Amino acid sequence: MGSVDAALKPRLRLRTPSEYAGWVLSILVGIGILVSVLTNPNFKWGIVGKYFFAESILRGLMLTIFLTVASMALGTLLGLALAVMRASHVKPVSIAAGLYITLFRGTPVLVQLIFWFNISALYPNLRIGIPFTDIGTAVDMNAIMGPITAALVGLTLNQAAYMAEIIRGGFSAVGKGQIEAADSLGMSGSMKMRKVIIPQAMPSIIPATGNQFIGMFKETSLVSVLGVAELLQSAQLIYARTYETIPLLIVASLWYLVMTLLLSYPQSQLEKRYSRATSTLPRKAKRVALTEPEGAAR
Amino acid sequence: MSTDGTIHARGIRKSFGSKSVLQNIDLDVASGEVCCIIGPSGSGKSTLLRCINGLETVDSGVLKVNGENFGYYETDTAYHALSKKKLAEQRTRVGMVFQQFNLFPNMTAQENVMSGPVLVKGHDKKKAAVRAYELLASVGLSGHGHKYPAQLSGGQQQRVAIARSLAMDPEIMLFDEPTSALDPEKVGEVLAVMKDLAKKGMTMVVVTHEMGFAREVSDSLLFMDEGYVIERGDARDVLGSPKERRTQAFLEKVL
Ligand SMILES: Nc1ncnc2c1ncn2[C@@H]1O[C@H](COP(=O)(O)OP(=O)(O)O)[C@@H](O)[C@H]1O
Ligand SMILES: [Mg+2]
Repeated sequence: MGSVDAALKPRLRLRTPSEYAGWVLSILVGIGILVSVLTNPNFKWGIVGKYFFAESILRGLMLTIFLTVASMALGTLLGLALAVMRASHVKPVSIAAGLYITLFRGTPVLVQLIFWFNISALYPNLRIGIPFTDIGTAVDMNAIMGPITAALVGLTLNQAAYMAEIIRGGFSAVGKGQIEAADSLGMSGSMKMRKVIIPQAMPSIIPATGNQFIGMFKETSLVSVLGVAELLQSAQLIYARTYETIPLLIVASLWYLVMTLLLSYPQSQLEKRYSRATSTLPRKAKRVALTEPEGAAR
Repeated sequence: MSTDGTIHARGIRKSFGSKSVLQNIDLDVASGEVCCIIGPSGSGKSTLLRCINGLETVDSGVLKVNGENFGYYETDTAYHALSKKKLAEQRTRVGMVFQQFNLFPNMTAQENVMSGPVLVKGHDKKKAAVRAYELLASVGLSGHGHKYPAQLSGGQQQRVAIARSLAMDPEIMLFDEPTSALDPEKVGEVLAVMKDLAKKGMTMVVVTHEMGFAREVSDSLLFMDEGYVIERGDARDVLGSPKERRTQAFLEKVL
């Protein structure tokens, strides 16, 4: 029939009308939005440019980064403690951790933040000392619970609950046989944790923690309600003066977007690396194995 | 007479909830003896083994391992659970080899073998490495020390697991169906290591379906069913001319 050898003819994919329709529709909508964004003068792109590197915006960005890093670090530590408590054989300890996790995951972060900001209404004086004795000192709660402290406390305590669940999930992914092998060698609880459980739980914990980190970066915008001059609040402070609401929200959004995109590359690398590691293949021959130590010569 | 390497059990009972898994088990294993346990799945073989190294606790009965009450200390009125540290000490004297190997995947073969001496006993790393090298060689795995478990075959992994247990210098070795998870052609290499160990005078309790191994190596054999020891005696006698109906029925099925 044809001139092409039948065995070498290419095989063509079926293209449905809906595929063409999808293309046309997406392109039309895209062009429409782009034209609108570029021609609608209310976007005021000049003003966006003017404030993008404004000092107060950059200071807000720094505070946002600080809040993210600090609350993630503290939240992860506290989450680890909660996860260990949750797995405890001592029932009250496990239940206490479970209640904490339920409470902090079951209520909105925004509400929690406002709550911590107003904690002095509940406890005007914080007493640090030994209960039922006179030993210790009282601190004025209003003095210590400023907006930034409240923001940090609120974000940390909330994050801890989520991290606890992530860490617990990682722990429970470690097989029962691993724990039995460690037990039968006579390993202590903490040794088992450090050498057997944690190294094997990390492949699932680390990528999930990366996701939390990116999420936290955006979540910090909530603390603007406490008057903390992070990125969003810094933008709000400017447009409260100049009424250039939209351009300044765009400035803040662009910064959130830039940071999220910057973080998404290491995140995807983490996910790739650890999805390989969960196949229990070694990540790489990192340690120089002491295969043939001196003295073992045959 | 030294009681090292002996197991002595009288009237052991164990239940999970309302389910009785071990009912009135007696067991005596002398130093250097090999005892094989056979029986259908669910008969309590694993549970019995796990009691002997403390992965499970018995509900009642006497259990002495290496001459000591295992996991408990005895007073006039009761057995009191030992501290975790004491229990761990007793456990280091009993090695356990699992059906699924249970090597630590985050460690090389050599690090697996070194893990007990270094992490538990606090031995010097260099010396432990030398010892691990020798142990790996003794199970036919010299040159494999740098490999991770995932890079080894099932038979090789199980031999590493045996070396890992031996690194603790146990007086007793327990094997829970050590060849059941292996490809048929890998069974022999693991059994050979176990035979070698038996020849060297290690006290061993082996749960197995390898009747040939049981016949050749074991000094005594137990047939268990539904938590009871149904029949016991010399391996050749029990396997060759079983007296109990249930033993006969089981052997007809597996042989
Ligand atoms: N941790 C446990 N909780 C509840 N039941 C168990 C547990 N371990 C074992 N069993 C039950 O005990 C019985 C004996 O199990 P096992 O000792 O593993 O038998 P075998 O090793 O002879 O196959 C089985 O019915 C099993 O379901
Ligand atoms: Mg079993």
